[in-house]
Amino acid sequence: MLNEIREPQCAQQAGASASDSGTRTSLGFRNFVVGFSHRHFREVSVAAALLVLLAALAIFAPAFYQPQPLLSLLTREAPTLVVACGMALVIISRQIDISVGSQFAVCSVSAGLLAALNWPLALVLPASIALGAALGAINGALVAGLRLPSIVVTLATMVTWREALRWLRQGEFVNLPDGAQWFGLSQVTGQITLIVVALTLLVALALAMKHLAAGRFVYAVGSDAEAARLAGIRPQLTTFFAFVLLGALVGLAAMMNVVQSPQVDPKSGTGLELKVIAAVVVGGVAISGGRGNLWGVFAGLLLLACISPALTHLRVEAYWEKAIQGAIILLAVVADGLRSRKERH
Amino acid sequence: MDTERHGFKTLAFRHETVLLFVLVIEWFYFHSVGPRFGTLDNSYDILRHSIEIGLLALAMTPIILTGGIDLSVGSLLGLCAITFGKLWRDAGLPIPVAAACTLCVGALAGGLNASLITWLRLPPLIVTLGTYSLFRGLAEAITRGVDTFTNFPPSFLFLGQERWLGLPAQAWIFLVVAVAVWLLVHRTTFGRSFRAIGFAPEGARYAGIPVERRLAMVYVLAGVTAALAAIIYTARLGQAKADAGTGYELFAITAVVLGGTSIFGGVGSVHGTLLGVAAIAVLSNGLVHARQPREVAGMLTGVLLILALSGSVVPKMLATWRTRRQIPREIQQSNTT
Amino acid sequence: MNKFLSFSIVAGLACLLGCGKSSDATGGSSGGKKLTIALMPKSKGNAYFISCKKGADKAAAELGIELIFDGPTDPDPARQNEIIENWITLGVDAIAAACENKEGISTALRKAKARGIKVITYDADALPDAREFFVNQATPEGIGHRLMDEAARLCGNEGEFAIITASLTAANMIEWQKHIEARRASEYPKMKMVALRPCDDLKDKAQSEATALLSANPNLKLIMAICSPAVPGAAEAVKQAGKTGRVKVIGLGLPSENRRYVKEGVTDSVILWKTEDLGYLTVYAAHALAKGELKTGDTRFKAGSLGEFEIQGDNLLLGKPFVFTKENIDQFDF
Repeated sequence: MLNEIREPQCAQQAGASASDSGTRTSLGFRNFVVGFSHRHFREVSVAAALLVLLAALAIFAPAFYQPQPLLSLLTREAPTLVVACGMALVIISRQIDISVGSQFAVCSVSAGLLAALNWPLALVLPASIALGAALGAINGALVAGLRLPSIVVTLATMVTWREALRWLRQGEFVNLPDGAQWFGLSQVTGQITLIVVALTLLVALALAMKHLAAGRFVYAVGSDAEAARLAGIRPQLTTFFAFVLLGALVGLAAMMNVVQSPQVDPKSGTGLELKVIAAVVVGGVAISGGRGNLWGVFAGLLLLACISPALTHLRVEAYWEKAIQGAIILLAVVADGLRSRKERH
Repeated sequence: MDTERHGFKTLAFRHETVLLFVLVIEWFYFHSVGPRFGTLDNSYDILRHSIEIGLLALAMTPIILTGGIDLSVGSLLGLCAITFGKLWRDAGLPIPVAAACTLCVGALAGGLNASLITWLRLPPLIVTLGTYSLFRGLAEAITRGVDTFTNFPPSFLFLGQERWLGLPAQAWIFLVVAVAVWLLVHRTTFGRSFRAIGFAPEGARYAGIPVERRLAMVYVLAGVTAALAAIIYTARLGQAKADAGTGYELFAITAVVLGGTSIFGGVGSVHGTLLGVAAIAVLSNGLVHARQPREVAGMLTGVLLILALSGSVVPKMLATWRTRRQIPREIQQSNTT
Repeated sequence: MNKFLSFSIVAGLACLLGCGKSSDATGGSSGGKKLTIALMPKSKGNAYFISCKKGADKAAAELGIELIFDGPTDPDPARQNEIIENWITLGVDAIAAACENKEGISTALRKAKARGIKVITYDADALPDAREFFVNQATPEGIGHRLMDEAARLCGNEGEFAIITASLTAANMIEWQKHIEARRASEYPKMKMVALRPCDDLKDKAQSEATALLSANPNLKLIMAICSPAVPGAAEAVKQAGKTGRVKVIGLGLPSENRRYVKEGVTDSVILWKTEDLGYLTVYAAHALAKGELKTGDTRFKAGSLGEFEIQGDNLLLGKPFVFTKENIDQFDF
């Protein structure tokens, strides 16, 4: 992606960090813990920050831990997690997609309109995923096919989809038919289903990234596209499919959001790209590609998702919220930066 | 990437010519559909409306040349606008002093970006994503969202609303900044070192370029320019509020990229950026004269961006594809790497 | 190569402009002596203003004028200012604007007035010297008091409530909050506002915010949503939390977006004026002003099929805000 200053050893670290975890368990538990936290410093520090926040909530605002509101909070974040997983893949392959928010809105509104035409949800869901994949394929074709910079391509598609949607729909809400909410299940079942779907996807993708050849291709392409090509991987094809997969996941996420209420807001997904990218980079995925894993992304997303409700519970005034969010993003990356600075000297 | 500088020069030349051509076409099209489009008044409107984004785009050009990016300029514009208002109204400072202090705040904020990027070697995208929230958040927290600074003296509003020596007053400031940035990028060793960093930061370091100091320089400059844009924005609207400049960073980046600067760094020009700013400004103004709704301006900007980019890539790819079929595999490999 | 580039770009641009033109909602330029009235919403893609536009279109058709409806895609005072200045150069006959921000837009409106363009404001006012009339759908004071009275009535004059707003910087909402607070302090001292949360004008975010509010404030009795997407968002959150009836929802919003919740009893009342009439009256007033039929000092104004409206000073009064409840919401279709 962006050509920032990179440490020369970065590419080597990239290969090493993910593949050899767990091979040194014979050195004893303590060494393992030290080694683990050293190799996964960012993931561990984000998880630690999350734990601190949760502990603070437990002490100062125990009301946060009521089962029903907590379930609602997690359900609200489930679609974001799905998008974040896809975004992590794209960023690991050394690209970026800032059009996800607009894709999300286009898929949501289309899904809503189809459902309003009384299509069965079993058809609307694949249609939404296919539409997302198609939008992702457009980005992918421009980035991988024409080799245009992804940040610019997706900046352009972000504006284009968003404005086109506004032009066509003029901001009108889409009302869904009765029974579309929660796929026709009861509320709690629906909520649990959505969370299970998101978590299953997370685990499946995390394992695939580690153990499947296709997953390793993404790391390889993100570390060094030329080396990957010489090793027999087709970098452009890998990149293309990363975008298509992200698009499909956005389509799925849009559907997961649509079924949570009986109306679709055509502005939904505004700002989603920033939230997701922040979660991915806070979770330790290197913006320069080839490094990071989905567990870190999960921790990063949970941390960012908890901030806003936590501030409500801790009765911090809303005026400070954006500043606190920015500070937390900066702190998470500064900690990592300080550590690698220490290593350099 | 390519070896000869010559190749890049013609490419850059070509891109800017195409952009100029697009601009001319835009101009004639809007002139034919909107009878008042070509008037002097309207040209002044276009100029006045594009100055803040133009300033941000000018500041963004050296940053993108070094291969970096700054997402925080729009938020910083908001923070500086309310700092200026606060200093003038609440601290009772005279306008020039308040303006000078605002420029210092801009420099400090730019310095925060710069120090995180150079000292800790963090990617600019992440750092400025963080400060993007932070600066806007501070602006909202300081004013609690509510506070609006108005009733500035007419002598100050002159800067944003009146004409001086035949041009809108703020255009002169813009002209000075544009010339200064152009000289910096195209006529000094600084400019060359920005490109070198953009091409290969490690290489630039080995070549004896103080990479950290140069990087710090471009981000601090961007901070100061954002503060300057904030002052002009305040003078043009006659008010300062925490939401000033929301989304401007995207317009600035769009203009720079449309102007032919590579987002990967190393290639680009200030005059290209100016053309990019003009192309977007004329489009968004002209569509009003063509009685088109606002959404179309956004859509066309996106399409124009992709067309402009692929315009410079597609012919090159076709050429490579053609040679690839002729040259044996071994030779071709050593060429493309 | 160069030719190819230029051709592709020009062709693309021309084609898009062509497409844009054919489907233009305002009907393109027909020239001649038709009056041109420019109507500006706070932002495009906002259902509230689309509803206003429906009435405005109707009035424009009756009067045989050309109506331009345009505004920034996001509520941005700087963009509003720019579009007004573009309209001045374009030479429209009258401008009717809903102002995101008083001072920011007044600079441009004063300029328009100085050039002989008739200026009125609707929905949200500019500074009085920047326009001739304000089509007043309800004063901020009226809205604030109405909301607070309704809240107090539903809560039995005591208890905690929370407000969800669009953004912390939206000028008119800040104004309403001020009057809500003033009314609370003077009339209902036992009511307590526990939180104010922004939802960025997004329904989904409003739902998340309301969910957090509900669990953080177990004694919450009412959520007041003062931007239109927040009302259904808050209602959905209350419904999902299983607190229907125990936590009331009121707000400012369109009946069409809230019908479901009002009928289910989640949302108790939605307050709004007749938005189509607002657009209709605004265009009629702008037209009369441009023709010289409406002058300062008039006390009555007749607007087409809607009949007569009262003028107080330089405010054209649309009438009292309407309270939509379970009983009457089905009669309204906007």
